[in-house]
Amino acid sequence: MNKEFNPEVMIEVIDLHKYFKDLHVLKGVSTKITRGEVVAVMGPSGGGKSTFLRCMNRLEEPSSGKIIVEGIDITSPYVDINKVRTEIGMVFQLFNLFPHLTAIENVKLAPMNVRKVSDAEATERGLALLEKVGLSDKAHNYPDQLSGGQQQRVAIARALAMQPQIMFFDEPTSALDPEMIGEVLDVMRAMADEGMTMVVVSHEMGFINEAADRILLLAEGVIVEEGTPEQIFKHPTQQRTQEFLGKILSV
Amino acid sequence: MNYESARANIPSHFIRSRPGWTYWIRRYEFIFVALALLVGYALFLLPGEDATPVNRGVSIGVFLLLVLAWSANILIDGEKSDWFKGAVAFGLVFVLCWLFYKYSGTKWDKLGRSFFNFAKMEGSWPQLFKGLLVTLQLAAISALFSILIGLILAVLRSFESPTLNIFLIAYLDLFRSIPMIVLMVFIYYALPYLGVALESVMATVLALSLGYSAYTAESFRAGIESIHFGQVEAARALGLTRLQTMRLVIIPQAIKVVIPPLTGNLVAMLKDTAVASVVASPELLKRAKEVYVGKANPTALVAAAIIYLIVLLPLARLANMLENRMKAR
Repeated sequence: MNKEFNPEVMIEVIDLHKYFKDLHVLKGVSTKITRGEVVAVMGPSGGGKSTFLRCMNRLEEPSSGKIIVEGIDITSPYVDINKVRTEIGMVFQLFNLFPHLTAIENVKLAPMNVRKVSDAEATERGLALLEKVGLSDKAHNYPDQLSGGQQQRVAIARALAMQPQIMFFDEPTSALDPEMIGEVLDVMRAMADEGMTMVVVSHEMGFINEAADRILLLAEGVIVEEGTPEQIFKHPTQQRTQEFLGKILSV
Repeated sequence: MNYESARANIPSHFIRSRPGWTYWIRRYEFIFVALALLVGYALFLLPGEDATPVNRGVSIGVFLLLVLAWSANILIDGEKSDWFKGAVAFGLVFVLCWLFYKYSGTKWDKLGRSFFNFAKMEGSWPQLFKGLLVTLQLAAISALFSILIGLILAVLRSFESPTLNIFLIAYLDLFRSIPMIVLMVFIYYALPYLGVALESVMATVLALSLGYSAYTAESFRAGIESIHFGQVEAARALGLTRLQTMRLVIIPQAIKVVIPPLTGNLVAMLKDTAVASVVASPELLKRAKEVYVGKANPTALVAAAIIYLIVLLPLARLANMLENRMKAR
């Protein structure tokens, strides 16, 4: 824990670099994410958005730089990354639910095996979470019996079951049919309203405009511009930002 | 839709000149008259035992050609029903067998006396069934060990440690390329020189377990690798350790993928227990050989073959069924 530890800073990223073999994907990214903040990460594909997110819970090993989560440098070899990950919920583009388990079993798995919560307690808490995402009637269905939007909501409940301090969303709606995007965004909006700290890689303009406190625009491995949705969408200062926004708005 | 309007939508050069017409050679009238003629040929024109070889050869050859032509005429016709084609195919096989029976010059009675003389087997059946029991026990115990060892090897392999992999790959390659009979003989006859003397049954179980654990490991590895990488990421992101991920997420899913090839392995292993007769394990083939020697009659070997078939055919079917069900999912 360093001296200047500020309890309001959840995650501090300092000069993060990531190489895949010779490919330099992240070229020195630095930012701070404070408690309760909703940060949207936008940018062209291949710009390093997902890699940035996945480095922050070390699903990808950072090549250099520091990532300080609640005062702990998680790139340090002394850190038990499994413990850190229990504080960070993650939702994936392709849901990645466990297909051999029912919705409630998906939600219970980590609390029971990592937090060693009793079956009864985990079930009770799991059902409450499924209720929260509007799926209490689907608790005993297997993932392949659920629609994409329902699967993604179960995945959110599964991540919440570990009572994380912060939630990462890696393009949570880009694999969904248009009519299912709303139900997932509603759940995310509710979480934001409850004060959950969130980092969201997404291009859902409406959601970002409404829920995000800050946008990071990541292109070619660097943060090109950052600011509130208002600033970024209405008065972008960088040409790269204008180009990118022009492309996604013209669709 | 009537015929005229159906035809109106078809370009003129695709329209049959004589709609509904069947070529005369494919009409049932012709087919059944030809069949009657073939039966007549078979009854009255095929030569007897006393015909000259040339006469026999020509006569049988012509008959065979006619039968094949008649069958082919039906089998290649897309408009005949499947059951009719099936009947024709079986009929063709029957005719070929019958020709072989009649003209191959085999001494059928002698063959029957030595290989199918089940009267001589009286009193020896219990011995064979005791052998079968040992065979099944050998297979069951070896299956258990090989699955256990195979699973451990596959899990170790999935850690992708370069150093560990050298040893694992060496093990897998060694036991997959060494013939079972060589392995068994080596373990039973050579290991005692190293101070490890195993009973024949133990040697058999060890050889089968080692040999088949390599195949089992490969099946498990394929199963583990078939699980989408996102599953591992999701589990790790929740804070599960590598081993928990393996135990709670990967293996339960991999098992379903692995069961069909594993069943196939078990069928092969059950068959390979017969090799154990060279190291004097008292299994089915060994027992059959004893009866063969005791009665001076090889019917026991045929009996053993039939017992193997009765046990293994359903298992082979089962493996096939499981595989098809996997593909259908």
